[in-house]
Amino acid sequence: MRPEKIDRIATIVILGLTGVVGLLIISLLVYILATGLPNISWHFLTSSAEAFKSEGGIRDQLFNSLYLVVITMIVSVPLALCAAIYLSEYAPANRLTSLLRLAIEVLSSLPSVVVGLFGYLVFVLKFGMDFSLLAGALALTILNLPILTRSCEDALQQVPYLQRQAGLGLGMSKWRIVTKIVLPAALPGIITGIILSAGRIFGEAAALIYTAGQSSPAIDYSDWNPFSPTSFLNPMRPAETLAVHIWKVNSEGLVPDARAVSNGSAAVLVITILLFNLLARYVGHLIKRRLVK
Amino acid sequence: MMDKLKKQLLGPSAESKQELLGKLVSYIAIIVIGGLVGTILVFLTIKGVALFNNDHFSLWQFLSGVNWQPSHHLYGALPMIAASFGVTVLAGMVALPLALVVALALTEMLSKKINQFCQPLIELLVGIPSVVYGYIGLTVVVPNLRQLFGGTGFGLLAAACVLFLMILPTMTSMTIDSLRAVPKQYRMASTGLGATRWQTIIRVIIPSARSDIFTAMVFGMSRAFGEALAVQMVVGNTTIMPKGLMDSAATLTSVITTGIGNTVMGTPSNNALWSLALILLIMSLAFNLLIRVVSRKGAR
Amino acid sequence: MKIALEVKNLQVLYGEKHVVHDINLKFPANQITALIGASGSGKSTVLRSLNRMNDDLATVQGTIDFHGININQPQVNVYRVRQQIGMVFQQPTPFPLSIYENVIYGLRLAGEKDKQVLSQRAEESLRQAALWDEVKDQLNESALALSGGQQQRLCIARTLAVRPEIILMDEPTSALDPVSTSQIEDTLVQLKEEFTIIMVTHNMQQASRAADWTAFMHQGNLIEFDKTATIFMNPREQKTADYLSGKFG
Repeated sequence: MRPEKIDRIATIVILGLTGVVGLLIISLLVYILATGLPNISWHFLTSSAEAFKSEGGIRDQLFNSLYLVVITMIVSVPLALCAAIYLSEYAPANRLTSLLRLAIEVLSSLPSVVVGLFGYLVFVLKFGMDFSLLAGALALTILNLPILTRSCEDALQQVPYLQRQAGLGLGMSKWRIVTKIVLPAALPGIITGIILSAGRIFGEAAALIYTAGQSSPAIDYSDWNPFSPTSFLNPMRPAETLAVHIWKVNSEGLVPDARAVSNGSAAVLVITILLFNLLARYVGHLIKRRLVK
Repeated sequence: MMDKLKKQLLGPSAESKQELLGKLVSYIAIIVIGGLVGTILVFLTIKGVALFNNDHFSLWQFLSGVNWQPSHHLYGALPMIAASFGVTVLAGMVALPLALVVALALTEMLSKKINQFCQPLIELLVGIPSVVYGYIGLTVVVPNLRQLFGGTGFGLLAAACVLFLMILPTMTSMTIDSLRAVPKQYRMASTGLGATRWQTIIRVIIPSARSDIFTAMVFGMSRAFGEALAVQMVVGNTTIMPKGLMDSAATLTSVITTGIGNTVMGTPSNNALWSLALILLIMSLAFNLLIRVVSRKGAR
Repeated sequence: MKIALEVKNLQVLYGEKHVVHDINLKFPANQITALIGASGSGKSTVLRSLNRMNDDLATVQGTIDFHGININQPQVNVYRVRQQIGMVFQQPTPFPLSIYENVIYGLRLAGEKDKQVLSQRAEESLRQAALWDEVKDQLNESALALSGGQQQRLCIARTLAVRPEIILMDEPTSALDPVSTSQIEDTLVQLKEEFTIIMVTHNMQQASRAADWTAFMHQGNLIEFDKTATIFMNPREQKTADYLSGKFG
């Protein structure tokens, strides 16, 4: 066969298969949204879940998911940022550094169920945190640290070395150069990284079912004292998240409208992830604009 | 004047104190992370070998036994190991060519406009939580398989389908990156020599991106191997050796997910679950090693 | 003649690679000294060792005597050293701040808070760097909007504002056009009344025009050091003569 003919056949096959895959994927998204959106109502988003009856909402699960992301970020951002500063500014080129990089890579490849087990063993049992938001947030921190460290390091590396050199020539310490010159310039990149990783942990479930728990006791949104056991801010209360809720309702749930609740929850999850991505893109555009200026 | 200068040069200053602070903070952060990894490895190993050390169950029977009956003190993990590998390989085998095809279409054939539409779409799909994929498996894949092949619909094939859907976006996105990294000059040089687009793809582009494409595949498969809930929702969860693709089965992850809450810490049946987790850990290290070896070869 | 800085038995190694061998040099105060030589002769490495900019990159052995203190010792505060011995680089690198904030950056770090002192010093330094007349009406605008030559003079002003004794310059004009280059050369000649200047240059004309003293380096060795006129007219070593006549480099 002539090469031109093979080329044409190959092109048709590739584009055809791509079309099939695209169709599959798009119909999947449409399915999630089409079955989910009709179930999303103000009532669904603002009322608490039911254990045995239908008409339950996802207010607490949604709040727990967001709150868990916030706690996780409070723990993991400073750690990841400082570790990234070490790797990008201080780390000498030696065996120890490559060992540390290997360790971070290993951490990023751990299955989340294994991280959840470790969290169950150490945070829940050994540290006596029981099933709690804090134990869940620490488990999520383990998942989040490697991704966030890498994106922070990338953002720091994007800042030209010449800027650092100029600071050194003026007698600035490396730390001052990092905090005053490099960090401000790298900030948009770091924020993009934080938002993207927030999206990832927002939908995490496997690491949470044995750390943050699978139950959602009644909480009081008017109680702002984080030490009060019924306060919505109390980090020591067990907290079922949205993703865990979907799993739970489908595998051992007793509610009669499990399908409606899960359809709605899945759509809310996907839409939230979409929002996270759009936000990250928007911040990314800001960087570009700043670079052009 | 001399002494003043000497004092200045030899004494501490605001900057040297800042530097000390900076070193302290960043060293602590990296030590915490390094220590964390060490702790995870040590704890999981200690818990994972307890079944063999404390409960004196033989490692060989664990790896080769086909009976998993904790009530009879039988912990043969082979069915789960086989199921985990089975669904992973199955999902990877289907996902790799399709990811490559889609990536080729997007980078080499389709217009910029379509790319601009597809890029965010792929990013969104990469970000969709695995539970959602599992739920789709439960509500779409399983009923369809039941219609097509009879039986319950739950089983290896359903799990492989779910994993395929889950890792396809990740693998596609990584493959696109690896193809984009191939220098433009290669394409121009090849076209300039009279090669068709297909010849350029097969002779120049794929070979030069080979190791990155392979990395994408291994990465996707390692995610599939470690996925727990999405699989647990559709695989059927029966700890017997599956005989066919439509048979209900249990993977390492699904047994752990269902079992941990139903066993008491420290008992042999609980320790056995930790041994399964140790296999998961070792496999994730093996995948990691594989990626390192491949990318080092690619760099050469 | 007063000596600003004396280098004794200076050796620099990058890992196993010996790039500078046993250099001895006395830099005269209030003069401009040029370091010349082909690429890879080690001239930039020597320059960067003088205020410890090589600390992270290389092993520097030997004595660097500054007012009777060997500043090449670990217990010496490098940040104070660099405030006394400032450095200007090849590429102009203003920070993404206003012109004014750029000039007083180093002073601010040193803890100076008095607004009067800051603005006085800013004007003085900009005048010394021959930039004042061009930017006095736009001090609060971004430094990144300046031309390359202006940016480099701003970087010189930024270094001057800290009041160092010695200023090291690593090919300060190689990224600039000829007009900016000659402006900066004129500035340097003015500056030597108050500062000691040591610069690395690729440009032979620049060395002959601006420098009082010239050191010629070749493959990590110091071949010859003398008054610029002597080196250019009447070199003692054959290698120097060959380099100056363009036989290599």
